Amino acid sequence: MSSRDQTDEKLERLVGQVLRDQPLRRAPASLEARVLGELAARARLPWWRRGIATWPPAVRVPVIGVCAVCVPLVWILSLWVATRLVSVATHPQLAGPLASLWDAGHAIASFGTITSHIIQSIPRDWLVGGIIATATLYAVLFALVAVGYSLLYRPAYSKVHLT
Amino acid sequence: MRAYQDMVFSTAVRLTGNPAQAEDISQDVFLRAYESFDNLRSSPKAGGWLKTVATNLTLNHLTRHRKRWRLFSEIFSDDSREEELEPSAESAAAIFDTVLTELETDERRALVERALERLPDHQRIPLVLYHYEEMPYQDIADRLGISLAKVKTDILRGRVAMAGLLAPGGRPAPDDRRQSPSIPRGAQS
Repeated sequence: MSSRDQTDEKLERLVGQVLRDQPLRRAPASLEARVLGELAARARLPWWRRGIATWPPAVRVPVIGVCAVCVPLVWILSLWVATRLVSVATHPQLAGPLASLWDAGHAIASFGTITSHIIQSIPRDWLVGGIIATATLYAVLFALVAVGYSLLYRPAYSKVHLT
Repeated sequence: MRAYQDMVFSTAVRLTGNPAQAEDISQDVFLRAYESFDNLRSSPKAGGWLKTVATNLTLNHLTRHRKRWRLFSEIFSDDSREEELEPSAESAAAIFDTVLTELETDERRALVERALERLPDHQRIPLVLYHYEEMPYQDIADRLGISLAKVKTDILRGRVAMAGLLAPGGRPAPDDRRQSPSIPRGAQS
């Protein structure tokens, strides 16, 4: 080992010792009051202004259901609007100024038609099977990540000593 | 909370070098702890959990801050000037040796805290992760998104720079920097 390496090693040891010997720094007296104040402020919030995970189940389940219904509803609605736009834009008096709008509406309507044709051409069993397979794969992947995290990631940090 | 607030605050302030930011981060840590209160209440790992969350939140805070200010720090930083003012590794070791043997605990605590706060972020953060959190070089490099070589260089230069800050006047005089170690404040009396 060269003399430089020995010096660096000695410096590392001394710095480590000086730092490890440092006592914990005292937290400001205001910290506890700030945390309690923030918790109290959060507790005063109405339930609907907090995270959805804390909402009452009687509200949370219907909201999730409504959201699930809204997704296809918005899709159908946008297709309907696109079709309306096409019909309005093809009107002789409006054809000129609304040409670009007509193009956009036509493109969306075409995309929707193609998508619906593709979905309709898939046998129902395949569709249901695909949804189940996707959900299963998602669950398996989630479980693998959770196991991997607890086995590989957490132990590395749990080695940290309380100073 | 009282049992752990000093530990959480110390973790944050050592990494940030800024008591006000450390207090904000500590508040976030305890608010998260409150969200997991049912699991933590009786867990013997509560201290470790709080320490890990404090470290992660502080590093996230510093990463955001670093991204925001990187451009300016790269424009205005002058590493060559910094290096020119630093003592040699040998002098640095002697300064730390003097700090350990000749200073009273309270005096040493204040001096080391101040020196750590004055280190630039790119030296203080890896230095603290290495010496306080006992993270290996590679983990530090991964966590900070920098190369292994840079981590090693920054830690080494951080130790030397810290010695310079522990010397009287914060930095050793250029004439003295390659000679015998300076005696820290307080050790002179």
